[in-house]
Amino acid sequence: MSRFRQPSILPGFGLTLGFTTFFLSAIVLIPLAALIIKGSSPSLAELKEILLDPRAIASYRLSFGAALLAAVVNAIFGFIVAWTLVRYEFPGRRLVDALIDLPFALPTAVSGIALTAVFAPNGWLGLKLASFGVQVAYTWIGVVVALILIGLPFVVRSVQPALVEVQRDLEDAAETLGASPWQIFRRIILPAVLPAVLTGFTLAFARGIGEYGSVVFISGNLPMKTEITPLLIVIKLEQFEYQAAAALGLAMLVMSFIMLFAINLVQAWGRRRHVAAGR
Amino acid sequence: MSIELDQVTKRYQGVPVVNDVSISVAEGEFLVLLGPSGSGKSTLLRAIAGLTEINRGRVSLHGRDVTHVNAREREVGFVFQHYALFRHMTIGENIEFALRVRHAKAAERRARRQELLRLVALEGMDDRLPAQLSGGQQQRIAVARALAHRPKVLLMDEPFGALDAKIREELRRTIRQIQRELGISTILVTHDQEEAFALADRIGVMHQGRLLECGKPDDLYTRPATRFVSTFLGAANLLLGYRSKDGIRFAPPANPAPADAPPVYEIVTVLRPEEVEMASERKELKATFVGHARVEEVLFGGAVERLRVRMQDRGTVASAVKGAAAASEDGTLIEVTRTLPEKRQLPVTPGQRVALGARRIHVLPTPVSSFSVVAATEEDCARIAAAPLLQALSTRMVTRVNHRVEPTIGEPPTGKAARALAPPGVAAVESGPGGAARVEWLLRHGASQVLCLDPERPVPTRVVIHAASDAALRPTMAVASSLLRNLPVEAAFLDIQSPALPAEGRATQLRHLLDARSEAAAVHGLDVRTELRFGDSATELSRELAAEDIALLIVGLPLAPTDAWQKLLPIAKLLDARGGDPVLIVRAAT
Repeated sequence: MSRFRQPSILPGFGLTLGFTTFFLSAIVLIPLAALIIKGSSPSLAELKEILLDPRAIASYRLSFGAALLAAVVNAIFGFIVAWTLVRYEFPGRRLVDALIDLPFALPTAVSGIALTAVFAPNGWLGLKLASFGVQVAYTWIGVVVALILIGLPFVVRSVQPALVEVQRDLEDAAETLGASPWQIFRRIILPAVLPAVLTGFTLAFARGIGEYGSVVFISGNLPMKTEITPLLIVIKLEQFEYQAAAALGLAMLVMSFIMLFAINLVQAWGRRRHVAAGR
Repeated sequence: MSIELDQVTKRYQGVPVVNDVSISVAEGEFLVLLGPSGSGKSTLLRAIAGLTEINRGRVSLHGRDVTHVNAREREVGFVFQHYALFRHMTIGENIEFALRVRHAKAAERRARRQELLRLVALEGMDDRLPAQLSGGQQQRIAVARALAHRPKVLLMDEPFGALDAKIREELRRTIRQIQRELGISTILVTHDQEEAFALADRIGVMHQGRLLECGKPDDLYTRPATRFVSTFLGAANLLLGYRSKDGIRFAPPANPAPADAPPVYEIVTVLRPEEVEMASERKELKATFVGHARVEEVLFGGAVERLRVRMQDRGTVASAVKGAAAASEDGTLIEVTRTLPEKRQLPVTPGQRVALGARRIHVLPTPVSSFSVVAATEEDCARIAAAPLLQALSTRMVTRVNHRVEPTIGEPPTGKAARALAPPGVAAVESGPGGAARVEWLLRHGASQVLCLDPERPVPTRVVIHAASDAALRPTMAVASSLLRNLPVEAAFLDIQSPALPAEGRATQLRHLLDARSEAAAVHGLDVRTELRFGDSATELSRELAAEDIALLIVGLPLAPTDAWQKLLPIAKLLDARGGDPVLIVRAAT
């Protein structure tokens, strides 16, 4: 082990590594292992029946689809919000800045109920949208709206520090070199903040997949239509089908892991490309 | 002219940070803008590049007016203090950026890149990232990148500021060489005078948003026109002297003056530390005697020895100007530098008494040497001397404010002979009831510039200049430019014409107006805005000053000693008003 030891101002490599291992095991790995064991205890045929049930498949599609869509929307609009907060000085800027964190702090059920009240067909936004023939609450759109609300702070808070890092000098330099505003954005600003946007996107996406509290109120929970996988798991639990619940959980775990791993690979590839270009 | 600025003004929150700057840079010339931080030099550079909008004035590059053209289309190269390299691009991509956004072909880009890398002696670095280069190398890349699109003008904002001394010197040489090789007109901004001397064909010194002086390095050093430039470029002792037809003396003339004494003018002289000669006795001096002094401090500085000596005998020399601390009651602190051979000839120790001589003295062409507050009692003198405007001017001009008690001030002439000596410099009196009479008294007693002000009022935010006749134009401009260099406010020259004037007369008048401006620019290096009005001078002046803000009126009046009162009449109301705007009257001989 001494091979890995690096001189450091903080002593106790052994102690800290031990602590890290213990912590990860107790909080993350052991519960996950329990899930895997429980989830894979049914026979293969049973497992197939649970996981490929049309109702389950519809729920996967909604959960992952809505989370992906919400994360994309957040990546774009979260960037704009962060840009406004970093680049402009306006009255109430600090207040807006503080408001961004509110979805973090609010119990998710509260946001869900609030959104439902506003977007319900008789709520004041829902009423207006209904006149255009758009219904938000109790449809998949409602799920996306809820996930956008929940995921926004992740993108804004990841992009903000990255934008601060982009010095004005760089834009000025690009301008004197003849770049148009679009070229400055495309070639100077975007490459500098893209890793941060991707991080924010990943966080918002991951959060969206697992979100339960805010969605159940606005979605209406119609099987096959607006039922998300976490809700399906809760329903299975309520029906004392523990094995089915665990199996669904395991399926989500595997799918989430694959997706996040893929995003991480893309990020790592992007980083390596820069370093490789330097040699 | 490849770069031409015409009365460029830039304000931040109403305060001018670049104030009426006009400048021309010739083809292939290397101009260095030198100034302390906050003098507006970087803002001016950004304005030339189009990175900052200007509020007034005109910017031309190679005869093309680019005032309203954005930075992208100005075709300038800009080098930033902190390099501003694109960190996610390789060196090659950085250099090619300007060509890439212009959609140049790959082969052309590559050829230009090789050429530029060779120019800055960093061949083969194409594939590195900026972070893998040292500071000096990064700045060279920044220079190469700025030149990629073959700009006709190169602008550099403190390009060596973030580098250590040795690399700085090396890079300085590289940049000078590249600039010569390409023959590109260049403006470089710095606060380092050594850098300015090493690089510049011409140096422009900026202070408080104004371009004070612009000239060849050795001209600026040996013949500065302003106090600021003389002390900012190298060290200087500023001493008040007295010039008569007999020459320059440092001892103040006797008061009252003997009846047959020639007229004496107070002047400001620059005595460089290296031009001071030291000897143990007055008779051993080879240069002109200045005074006796006591050595206070001796510092060894390698090739030269630096000394500070204090001139004590106030009888002979009373008038030093460099800073309040230097000109205390104990005498005047003077800086001296000596070469080692000089030091060997007369080694000195602190406390030793020496005689000082001046090998070369430069007289500043400023009519404003010092200020003299004139009032009936010492208390009044002290009260007027505390006026914010006087305090601001005397501090910025590092000159002193004398107190002169004249019990008879403001009284009509009695006909008695004893001629009191004119107070030195600008005489200052209080405005309010009897103000015009006090001004008249001073003018009768030989004062040539009289400032009439309310001591309670704050520093003016605007200056209005007016000359009542063509003869008054020249002295008025001289005084105005001398003062304006020390007031960071906007100024306008007001020409007032009689509406009764026939058309030909108007043409002549207009020419005079333009003459006034070019005169101010050529003789005093100061550019002011000019405005033309039609009407009666007194009415127009009061209208101009009617605004809420505080304006300093500098007015030139042609005055013979006998008709002072009559000529004052148009502005007498201003002088007698309590709490009015300050007025500076410049007397022009008739």
